[in-house]
Amino acid sequence: MQQRDNQNRLSQKYTNSVLLNGTLSTPRWWYPLVSVLLFFVVIGFILFGIQIKYGLGVTGLNRPVYWGLYITTFVFWVGISHAGIMISAILRITQAEWRRPVTRAAEILTIFSLATALVFPLIHAGRTWRIVYWLIPYDAARGIWPNIRSPLFMDPIAISTYLTGSTLFLFVALIPDLAVLRDRTTGFRKGFYTILALGWTGNPRQWKMQVVGGILLSALMLPIFVSVHSIVSWDFAVTTAVEGWHSTIFAPYFVIGAVHSGVSAVVTMMALMRWGWGWNDFIRPEHFDALARLLTVVATAWLGFTFLELLFAVYGLDAPEIALREMQIFQYPWNMLFLIFLLTGYILPVPMWLFKRVRTNIALMFWSSILVNIGMWLERFLIIVPGLARKSPFVFTWEAYTPSWFEWYILFWSFCWVTLLMLLFSRVFPLVPLFEQKESEVFSDSIKIGRATVPTIFREEEEEEED
Amino acid sequence: MTIKGHHKEWPPSDPKIVKDELFSSTIKGSSTLKLISKILGLLSILGLVGLIGKFLIDGGDQTQWGYVAATLAFIFSVTGGAPLVAIAPFIAKANWARPISRMAHVIGASAIVVNIIIMIPLLWVLPPLVVEGARRRSIWFEAPVYSPHFWDTLSLIMLAIAGLGLLYVSALPDFAIMRDNSQGFRKKIGNFLAGGFVGSTVQWSTLRMRVGVMSTLYFFIYIFVHVVISIDFSLSMVPGWRDAIYPMAHAMGGIQGGVALVIILAWIMRKYGKYENYLNINVFWALGRLMFATSLMWIYFFYSAFIVFWYGKSMSDNAWLDLLIRGPMVYVFILGMLFSFIFPWWWLIWNKVRNSINGPVIGAFIALTGVFFERIRVYVPAWSVDPKLIHDKWLTVIPETLYPDIWDILLILGSISFVVLTVIFISRIIPFIGVWEVQQFNLLAKPIKYIKAHGIRVAKPD
Repeated sequence: MQQRDNQNRLSQKYTNSVLLNGTLSTPRWWYPLVSVLLFFVVIGFILFGIQIKYGLGVTGLNRPVYWGLYITTFVFWVGISHAGIMISAILRITQAEWRRPVTRAAEILTIFSLATALVFPLIHAGRTWRIVYWLIPYDAARGIWPNIRSPLFMDPIAISTYLTGSTLFLFVALIPDLAVLRDRTTGFRKGFYTILALGWTGNPRQWKMQVVGGILLSALMLPIFVSVHSIVSWDFAVTTAVEGWHSTIFAPYFVIGAVHSGVSAVVTMMALMRWGWGWNDFIRPEHFDALARLLTVVATAWLGFTFLELLFAVYGLDAPEIALREMQIFQYPWNMLFLIFLLTGYILPVPMWLFKRVRTNIALMFWSSILVNIGMWLERFLIIVPGLARKSPFVFTWEAYTPSWFEWYILFWSFCWVTLLMLLFSRVFPLVPLFEQKESEVFSDSIKIGRATVPTIFREEEEEEED
Repeated sequence: MTIKGHHKEWPPSDPKIVKDELFSSTIKGSSTLKLISKILGLLSILGLVGLIGKFLIDGGDQTQWGYVAATLAFIFSVTGGAPLVAIAPFIAKANWARPISRMAHVIGASAIVVNIIIMIPLLWVLPPLVVEGARRRSIWFEAPVYSPHFWDTLSLIMLAIAGLGLLYVSALPDFAIMRDNSQGFRKKIGNFLAGGFVGSTVQWSTLRMRVGVMSTLYFFIYIFVHVVISIDFSLSMVPGWRDAIYPMAHAMGGIQGGVALVIILAWIMRKYGKYENYLNINVFWALGRLMFATSLMWIYFFYSAFIVFWYGKSMSDNAWLDLLIRGPMVYVFILGMLFSFIFPWWWLIWNKVRNSINGPVIGAFIALTGVFFERIRVYVPAWSVDPKLIHDKWLTVIPETLYPDIWDILLILGSISFVVLTVIFISRIIPFIGVWEVQQFNLLAKPIKYIKAHGIRVAKPD
């Protein structure tokens, strides 16, 4: 039930009680769902153990396709991780008001998807401990890669930096809410929140520091956000040996694709949060509307990059490259995957989002955002695998790559794992930032212009005062 | 206690004062402006002489036309990029851009004549798709041999029409004001252009829809023009140069130059048009941030290409580096890098610089110079490549450095002068700050004091 004060705003008491309903109490569906997810996650760990014992033979990876579903999923999760900074940092800097209920979920999604992405190169290595030999000490003389400037070396560094920065970013934004939890809990939990709240009392200086910290971290995170997926794209783009990979457009193409899939994942998550916790007063249709508008622009830019990537693939008139593209687009089963990729990545969802009725319909937004991520996963698969699978002159064996059920399960496991982590997080920390919501209520108003009532927002500005 | 903030300069709330002040710019003119116009006119004529001289002397030699192509690329991209400064905030419903949106649209329509004039001889020297009996690499594949000539010209004309359309549609209410508040020739022009606009509810909602449609259309045409012209007039003239990000980097350079032009024009209007209340520090602050962002985007697109070529080390990758980075234009490359990225980045990174009137304009001049160097860095070597090598898999003979001759210099000066002259000419007809835009701005934004803080209350209608 919506509770508003005499100025037609959601009261702070109501905001606290509703947004902490997943933290201070447990929804009925929580334990059954967590149990099921835990079951699937444990099975995933067992399968991973089996793979370590028997090696990569349990997967479909074989000559010449050594990068398959695991690397595709690695790129996919790195892409999803772009949701947090896109939503939180960019929209914070541009003062987009509608970001407020979305930021926390996006930041958490960033952290958990990055942590999951980091696991995939380990799984992909088969005998995971061998990564140690490859990286430490990593000297140019080994000749595995040209030198330590390899993107394969830069990847873990960039992702770790992004993970550290995102965690700090999340923590800084959590502090005021941790103080609220500290003041509403007892016993062990109170002690836990007291330590994390860092003595927050909400005095003007603390608020100022919190705001400045948030903006500074936003500005610092932006270059890291761009660099992470660019570096991942250079894993492929700097390689001249594989057809279809050596393209200058890969870095921005990967980044814009990541934003497309990441923001879609946030839409999926917001719908689930609204349904699961009943936060209808806080996650409202207008937030889906704003996200869908943003997605329309991002998706169209992404489509432009896709077009340029394909155009320049055939521009060079190199026979092998053209043969690869023919295989990718016209030969079964790649043609089916390509068709599904285009349909789900753009052709179905974007025209839907042109209609306000769709943009404000939570169920349709949920399903269209799922479609996007099916398409974006396929996009990565179609970039990585066909170039390796096509018959080339110096490879003595070649065949189409079929992922084993093992690999499919690990993909499924990754979704269960991220969802489980999110649910566990929701029991300890609020998924919608309380202070952002309260600030929004204070800053929002409406005025009459002619006959229309128009929503307004107050924007504070820097200024000097003199006596 | 007095407040020193952003709100000392704010548009007057009285619509009549706004109308009178803004329309006064179309009427008043100083002797200095007349003198400047005469000098620009003279330079424009010299530019035309330069183009004709170039055609008569080097008409048969493609390798000598790099500076002409670079000039065309520079002018169409920076003037064409300016309207995007108005389009993006319009879509995002950002009020701060209302005072500069007219200027952005005017700049977008200012280079139509120059673009077409320079394009004509370039079409003459641009090689067809079939050279010495074989097809060269191009994005037109099996299309008719003069497809680049046709489509590139058509795309420039489409951009011109879209630019004019956008300017016209967004100026409709001001034409109606001109019709209702002037006499003689101006009244006739206003009557003709206003098209019966009386400000009914339907007309206002139609106006908003039209501006939205024209803005979207303009954006897509702008990108299309950059794709076809950047490829046909530079990339496809170099054997083995395959660079998928190049059209987008080209467009980004244009947008960077467009933002710079808007800042410069806004600064001139503020200083010499006495529009401090309209073009206040909020506008320059926002534009400064945009300028900073576009500089960062430019370097990102450049580096995305550079790292792939530098790391790839294939023959064609090395040829790219030899031709466009460490080759005949190495000094222009260094200048381009300094002016397009390093100087504007280091200058505009400081909030105190962005949050000032003069800071962004200095950054804008620097960045605009950078875009010019960048166009020379790419177009001159691309056109200098020996046409006999066009079918090679990659470039094996790197051309010598080509310096501009007197005809090139005249053309560069003349074409830029003619664009400026066109802007001055348009300023005699349409106010450079949209009257209706400012009046809507006043309805939607208002400086207020909120508890202890000062800020702006911004209304965001659906």
